Amino acid sequence: MKKHLKLLFVATIIIFMKGQGSSVKAQGIMGGHVTGNVQLDGQFSSRDSIIGATDVPEKMLSNVRADILYTNGNFSAGLRYEAYLNPMLGFDPSSKFKGQGIANYFVSYKTQNFTVTAGHFYEQFGNGMTLRAYEDRYLGIDNALRGVNVMYRPFRGITFKGVLGQQRYFWETRGLVRGVDGEVNLNDLITSWNESKTRLTLGGSFVSKYEDDETILSDMPGYKLQLPKNVGAASVRMDLAHGGFGLQAEYARKGQDPWLDNGYIYKPGEALWLSASYSQKGLSANIQAKRVDNMGFKSVRSVNERQMLYINYIPSITKQHTYAFLSMYPYGTQTTGEMGVQGDFIYKFKKESLLGGKYGTDIHLNASLITGLDTTLVGGKGTDGYTSSFFGTGETYYGDVSLEIAKKLSSKVKLSATYGYVLFNPVVEGHPGDIHHNHVLVADLTWKINRKNVLRFEAEWMGSDSKYSELVDDKRCGDWIMGLVEYNFTSAWFVSVSDQYAYNDGVGNYYNVSVGYTKGATRLQLGYGKQREGIICIGGVCRNVPASNGLTFSLTTSF
Amino acid sequence: MKKAILTITAMLFFGLSFAQNAKLPENISIKTLDGKTVETSVIQNDGKPIIVSFWATWCKPCNRELNAIKEVYEEWQEETGVKLVAISIDDTRSASKVKPHVDGNEWNYEVYLDQNQDFKRAMNVVNVPHTFLINGKGEIVWQHTSYVDGSEEELFELVKKLANGEEI
Amino acid sequence: MKKIVLSLSIIILTAFAIQSCDKIEQNDDGTYTVYSGAVGEWINGNGVADKSQRALLEKYTGLRCNNCPKADTVIATATAQYNGLLIPVSIHDSSFSFCRPWTFSTPTGNEWSHYFGTFGQYPQAIVNRSLSGSSFDRFDPTSGITSHVDPLVQQSAKVAIAADAACANNTINVTVNLEFVETVAEPLTLTICIIEDNLVATQLQPDGHTWDSNYVHNHIFRDVVTDMWGADIDCSGTAGEKRMAVFSTNKINPDWKLENCHIVAFVSYKESRDILNVVECEIE
Repeated sequence: MKKHLKLLFVATIIIFMKGQGSSVKAQGIMGGHVTGNVQLDGQFSSRDSIIGATDVPEKMLSNVRADILYTNGNFSAGLRYEAYLNPMLGFDPSSKFKGQGIANYFVSYKTQNFTVTAGHFYEQFGNGMTLRAYEDRYLGIDNALRGVNVMYRPFRGITFKGVLGQQRYFWETRGLVRGVDGEVNLNDLITSWNESKTRLTLGGSFVSKYEDDETILSDMPGYKLQLPKNVGAASVRMDLAHGGFGLQAEYARKGQDPWLDNGYIYKPGEALWLSASYSQKGLSANIQAKRVDNMGFKSVRSVNERQMLYINYIPSITKQHTYAFLSMYPYGTQTTGEMGVQGDFIYKFKKESLLGGKYGTDIHLNASLITGLDTTLVGGKGTDGYTSSFFGTGETYYGDVSLEIAKKLSSKVKLSATYGYVLFNPVVEGHPGDIHHNHVLVADLTWKINRKNVLRFEAEWMGSDSKYSELVDDKRCGDWIMGLVEYNFTSAWFVSVSDQYAYNDGVGNYYNVSVGYTKGATRLQLGYGKQREGIICIGGVCRNVPASNGLTFSLTTSF
Repeated sequence: MKKAILTITAMLFFGLSFAQNAKLPENISIKTLDGKTVETSVIQNDGKPIIVSFWATWCKPCNRELNAIKEVYEEWQEETGVKLVAISIDDTRSASKVKPHVDGNEWNYEVYLDQNQDFKRAMNVVNVPHTFLINGKGEIVWQHTSYVDGSEEELFELVKKLANGEEI
Repeated sequence: MKKIVLSLSIIILTAFAIQSCDKIEQNDDGTYTVYSGAVGEWINGNGVADKSQRALLEKYTGLRCNNCPKADTVIATATAQYNGLLIPVSIHDSSFSFCRPWTFSTPTGNEWSHYFGTFGQYPQAIVNRSLSGSSFDRFDPTSGITSHVDPLVQQSAKVAIAADAACANNTINVTVNLEFVETVAEPLTLTICIIEDNLVATQLQPDGHTWDSNYVHNHIFRDVVTDMWGADIDCSGTAGEKRMAVFSTNKINPDWKLENCHIVAFVSYKESRDILNVVECEIE
């Protein structure tokens, strides 16, 4: 039945396209357009006992996806082909992912005040604290909803959205999610406020999931949990701006929702997120704070895959570091409970000023601290679980400070120097152990020899407290050094060579060589080397990547 | 069956995609930096070329590209009337940092937020930075992914061609 | 303005929509759990913390029994003395309540009364349905009951019993947990009774002719949740075994005030009907 539906769907698109296609030729007027993109990633990995890489029995692993999008005026339709033959390291290796097929398809009709989409869609309410159906191909996350998505704007300044659908789970769909969202932009709505310097947007959303009853045994023999079949989450939010000042806030609550990750407890969830900022040309400051308490919201109670079937998204507030060592211990949002603050400050010393020199100097300072909640245990599975005090903080989970100074030394040479401190508690990844402290230094130098030849050098050092590496008996958790040289020529080619070395260990050298070619929207990259096992996090959502040793290639193209 | 679908689809799009240049989508909702929802049809430049650049606050090459163009943006505008529209794909984690980031870096670009990444998907953007060049008729005439220092000069050569009414 | 009111009201309605999600009521012990077997099915249980040996005192009585108020006084005093170890139940049969439509007699009470040989001669009491020779050891409670209770409660319990009861949607659910302290080889049954307190009804007074229409009747037997001779307990009976079951009834008489009702549950030998242990609990 499912296959038939897919076929019918594809046939509809094809017929539509054909009709449009012939009319283009016949009448020579603007018809529909087909665009798309293809991404092909492949990997050969062989055993390396030193870094812990294992043999890949299939020799080659690959992930492929191709999106095809058809648009014609207000109408659009698309489908996506995906293939995991077999899934690359770090993606779910079970048979659930293996295979190929049409993973995503939709038709959509859009006018200025009305949009309706049927099929797979992505949607976000506010900051996503009640609903965020999104995808991140590098994390292997695709929380697309399959169903119906409607947007309606009855007046200028008022937007309603509605969703009804099931969530993607590998090649299937699971759960049942329903939600509505309303947003009022008061400046658009009230004529006399249209030109006001103060801008205010208010919004609210409600999302509910339905899941049938199931037997989940209590810790007490003979008893099972009484499960809520409908679980709702609601939020209110505001976005206030006045000139350079901005204030954003969202508060969300969730009803009783016993599920795997919260240990099947019944405590209602809540989350508060605040962000205040001030900026003017050459200066900006931003402070964020959040408190998350049992706010993980999945469409299926008992699902082992950590990142699958999430309905909502709790924004992470830590900075997304890009340098290798600063992101060696990344932090993933603890949806079960955390508190955090973050400050971000950017300043530009003007050209010809004392500290600015001839070209000016950029400073970027960022600091964050995340802790657990101050909780009191009241029981296990099938109880409220714990109580928490709103302002109390618990164990420290993560903290970082980074200061980046970027300066153009001459018309050809740009230098950026970064100092970073990262405090990490392995307990957030479920490992025992003490908090450990890391200091990171980065120098990043770009030398533009001429228009066609650019060299980039990167040197990084990380010093960790020895106590931690002794505790886990792995010297690779200690000190590291890294060097990278990247050469770009004819603006189409690049070659880079890098090595990461845990010098206390004296064994593990993680070298990498890559070559890349870009032409227009097509990019081909080949790499050979050793990849450290680690965690990749984007937006506070993380994926484990096992060690690998060998050749990787990646081809992306858009058309 | 799946193979058949793919073959047919592939044939169809090859048959079609050479028909003409795709236009910039007009009806996708994006947000201004002060929280107002607008349609992508606001991306206009009175018949002059437009550079549409997809970026994110956490993306180093994007920042290098936009900072490099900043240095020469005034000259570019005077010479060709080009306008750069920067589309941030930052999610909630960093979306509230976009305006501070733009101001802090003194960018004079038109910046929009594409938090739900609808625009990104419609434009088939896989990685950032991804830059599009739009001609006076609103047609996408050129696109490029990734950035290496100096490639903005190549982009400007193309902008100049467009401004002179030449084909790319 | 109209626009604002409309939008705000929709947003408020949306916020109130959260009320539409399921709310699971918390149990008294802080859990949100429910018995996972079928009604009447015996499964492995959690054990019983309180291993006391308690005694069930059944008083067979009637409204026209002029010595029964005296027996009530004696029983009330003894119940207080035994501090929870003595559980009294008042069972009315039809013999002394003739032509009184408001009497508390029940078919089960009649049957028991006939079986234990107490019918027609009140007040009669029986503790734990214990036997004296081949007949039941019934006695007149007005002449004192401690000599009958003491030997029973001073024993150590062979079976520990605990019960929880709750009423929802006009159904009473009773969860019973058993733990075998000693091995019991004989087949056993479990009987669950609904008992009501604070019933005001007339009662013949000791003088033999005064009717007190405001007499307060306590521990009145109303009905059984199980079969009148109990439900079979599915167990091996070996020491240390823990069994549990849930029994339920929806035959709730509208005359009963559930807030005054409680549950009495007891384990007895299937053959002799002698009671091993008993417990009482409130109905939530």
